[in-house]
Amino acid sequence: MDALLTSAVAGLTAGGTYALLGVCAVFTYRLVSVVNFTGAAIGTAGTFALIALTEAGYPTWPSVLAGILVGTFVGVAIGTIMTRWFAESSASTKAAVTVALLVGLIAVGLRLTGGQHPHVMPELFPGSAFRLAGVEVTIASVLTIGLAVLFTVLSDLFLNRTRVGLHLRALSDRPMAAELLGVKVQLLSLLVWGLTGAFTTFALMIIAPQRSPNFMTLSLLVVPALAAALVGLFRSFWLTLAGGILLGVIEGMASTVDSISQYRSAIPFLVVLAVLLWSQREARWDDAR
Amino acid sequence: MSRFVISDLSVNRAELPVVSKVSLVAESGAISVLLGANGAGKTTLLEGLSGIIPVAGGRIELDGREIHKARPGLRSREGLAHVEQGRTVFRQLTTEENLKVGLSREAEMAQAYDLFPELVQRRAVRAGLLSGGEQQMLVIARALLTRPKVLLIDEMSAGLAPVIVTRLMNAVRRLADEGLAILLVEQFAALALSIGDRAYVMRRGRIVHDGECKALARTPDELHRLYLGTEAA
Ligand SMILES: Nc1ncnc2c1ncn2[C@@H]1O[C@H](COP(=O)(O)OP(=O)(O)O)[C@@H](O)[C@H]1O
Ligand SMILES: [Mg+2]
Repeated sequence: MDALLTSAVAGLTAGGTYALLGVCAVFTYRLVSVVNFTGAAIGTAGTFALIALTEAGYPTWPSVLAGILVGTFVGVAIGTIMTRWFAESSASTKAAVTVALLVGLIAVGLRLTGGQHPHVMPELFPGSAFRLAGVEVTIASVLTIGLAVLFTVLSDLFLNRTRVGLHLRALSDRPMAAELLGVKVQLLSLLVWGLTGAFTTFALMIIAPQRSPNFMTLSLLVVPALAAALVGLFRSFWLTLAGGILLGVIEGMASTVDSISQYRSAIPFLVVLAVLLWSQREARWDDAR
Repeated sequence: MSRFVISDLSVNRAELPVVSKVSLVAESGAISVLLGANGAGKTTLLEGLSGIIPVAGGRIELDGREIHKARPGLRSREGLAHVEQGRTVFRQLTTEENLKVGLSREAEMAQAYDLFPELVQRRAVRAGLLSGGEQQMLVIARALLTRPKVLLIDEMSAGLAPVIVTRLMNAVRRLADEGLAILLVEQFAALALSIGDRAYVMRRGRIVHDGECKALARTPDELHRLYLGTEAA
């Protein structure tokens, strides 16, 4: 029982990261109508900028800042491609384009970072924050979850209380009508891509030391992230947040049970499947009415 | 005083010419009415004017400045407003929020509520829940708050009760009297001709008539002939 609790708590850091990545995915989907498969890869690019800088002997915190800037820049670059050439495309076309971009980013990323070549990722926030029922809760897990909650609360406030937020909501409702009213549509879209790029990068920097920091594995964290977003049906920030954390905890617990631990990377898929079946059931019920 | 001048404008859709060498004018204080049967190319023309579709040829000038190469957002900032066909409210936003989206520094919310007092008690309601007439009022008022010089309105009366159409027509007349240049697109002619000044009729992408609204209103047979066989109410 104790082991199970320990591993569940250990899953919190991953859960917080999934939650933040998931909330960013919902943010992107709701505001610029793109199911973004490159989310984690954008953050990975920033994280590897940090690794490269620290390996070259630069001090940690300025490198963190530079890494976040790189993540923001890559996010804006992907956003430019999506808004310039695919703004009018269907949702599925746009999703397919981001999958293609993901493959491209991973290929370039693996090449630049030397493939499976091991890297040293500085642990930004070592140590434990507090003990929960006798189990150490790491600072990293508190931070990722805190960041996810902060992002959720801030986006809520930002969208509902500011003029730019109002423009973003108008943009997500009817992009052309917004543009006809003089809303700076392209600039705002790039703002969304830049913001999510920055937050994703920071989240990945925190979780990277716990994973093998390899460009591909980090980029594929988009799978649990999108699973979390699906729990929120790509609408609700709070459900996505909860879904991400839950996913991390389940994954953590699964790792202690020998017979299933090797399948734990399949857990996001099971969640996706469950949500899809459940939402289908609802649709069918609606049809039947 | 503003002058909105369109010369030899052509607009394609899916590579096919839909609007060919159209020339027309809208001026401050006046309503130019553009009539034409379903499929004549009226909406395509307006979308070319506001920049939703790129133009294939010709010129668009607003007070002597060429705007046909600019993006829609820029044309809006130059003083062009387009009330699209189909009541394009932001459904998830409230009435008040809809009005605020394009609110110019020089405009005030009161102007919108003054034009359509009906909207006051609906200010906190999501626009998706408004009636068709209220949505039409909302999109006109919303465009007005961008402080335009020229207002393009596409089929505002489609699907609305006659009493509401009359209400909308009167409001549009008032906006013209206050100095706006208006290009009013309608499929059903009678009411539009009764409030308009200059009348154009479009058929298969070309302007086939250019004259006074009053004159055209007096000759329904002529109008019928211009529409070519299709009904005109
Ligand atoms: N999205 C589109 N793609 C291709 N052709 C279109 C499209 N929309 C309209 N058309 C064609 O362009 C012509 C003009 O349509 P439209 O401008 O909507 O006319 P109106 O507004 O006068 O009814 C029609 O023949 C129509 O079939
Ligand atoms: Mg039309």
